[in-house]
Amino acid sequence: MRVIAIIIATAVGILSGLGLTWFASAGAIGFGATQIGAWMTWPKSGSAEADPYSRAIYARSGELPLGSTDGIAFVANSDDTGAALNGRCDIHIAGHLPNARFWTLTVYDSEGRLIENPAERYGFTSAEVIWKSDAEAEIVLAPHARSGNWIPTGGRERISAVLRFYDASLGLGGRFTNKVEMPSVWQEFCP
Amino acid sequence: MRKYLLPVIAGLVLGGIVHILTTLAMPRLALDNAFSRLAKLGPANAVQFVPDPTPAGAVLPRTDPAFVTAVCRYNLDAGVLKVRVPTSADYTSVSFYTRQGLAYYSLNDHAAGQRTIELQLMTPSQRAALPEDEEITRADRLIVESPSVEGVVLVRAFVREPGNRMRVRERISNVSCSPVS
Repeated sequence: MRVIAIIIATAVGILSGLGLTWFASAGAIGFGATQIGAWMTWPKSGSAEADPYSRAIYARSGELPLGSTDGIAFVANSDDTGAALNGRCDIHIAGHLPNARFWTLTVYDSEGRLIENPAERYGFTSAEVIWKSDAEAEIVLAPHARSGNWIPTGGRERISAVLRFYDASLGLGGRFTNKVEMPSVWQEFCP
Repeated sequence: MRKYLLPVIAGLVLGGIVHILTTLAMPRLALDNAFSRLAKLGPANAVQFVPDPTPAGAVLPRTDPAFVTAVCRYNLDAGVLKVRVPTSADYTSVSFYTRQGLAYYSLNDHAAGQRTIELQLMTPSQRAALPEDEEITRADRLIVESPSVEGVVLVRAFVREPGNRMRVRERISNVSCSPVS
């Protein structure tokens, strides 16, 4: 009886512990993250005070985080409702963009690669994008060409969008984290 | 069922410990981390271009395609390194990482405020061993202390429009990273 109890405790311990680490280091759980709408960031990932979760996430993916004086990256794997971003839908990223020297928006497949397209259009920079107003823009990620700011998705089922602000002090990690306004993300015309 | 309650609770507590330990160990255990990916580009203490990301892949996943990137993987065992990065009106940044990918220092052209970013990279003990007379001139130089002997200096330059890429590449080819003689 006692042996069975020890086996159960050990099995539960190892499976739950490793499972949690697996998902957390894939960035699938927002441990250590700051979430604003659909956007997730690890505000201290670019400094020596980086939290253990962001360190594990970057070590596992093989990425290097942006240094904090360089910029800050926000990742969206899903839309505002929490549904995974599907490259076969029309994905709208629209609204106010925080103030920065410049920003870039890039679309990746589930492996972190750019998505092939004849126009070699992988994203937009704040210098290229057509603005709606001073600080507002709308960008559409879709499988088929459209007018305006369009990024092809190649119809990939799982995509992610990364919005990077360079030379920006958004004041994240402080008490006013929620004051940062990020563009909203929604999907339509899903097959 | 009740008799399994206690072992399951004990298991979940153990799971929490396993989770914390494996998360903390991840930077040491990850085999395919940025340092080993960049090591394939060339020798340490020299500058290499990181090829632009393409749909076929990239040296580092999720690289920002709007940048030209150069890297200097360093090993300070041989001594202090001197790093020079020419800047321009377009954005340029220099970021420092330990072997395990911790971004311990970064600066950009605005923060540096000069046409050329020039700095010396050394370990805390190398800094402590600087001769007295060099102490006086220290103020003129930017000294970056690396918490680890090995690490990565990443130089990134923004390409404002695709037509500019060649010009940015030319400028970045003047980045240097070499032992102080």
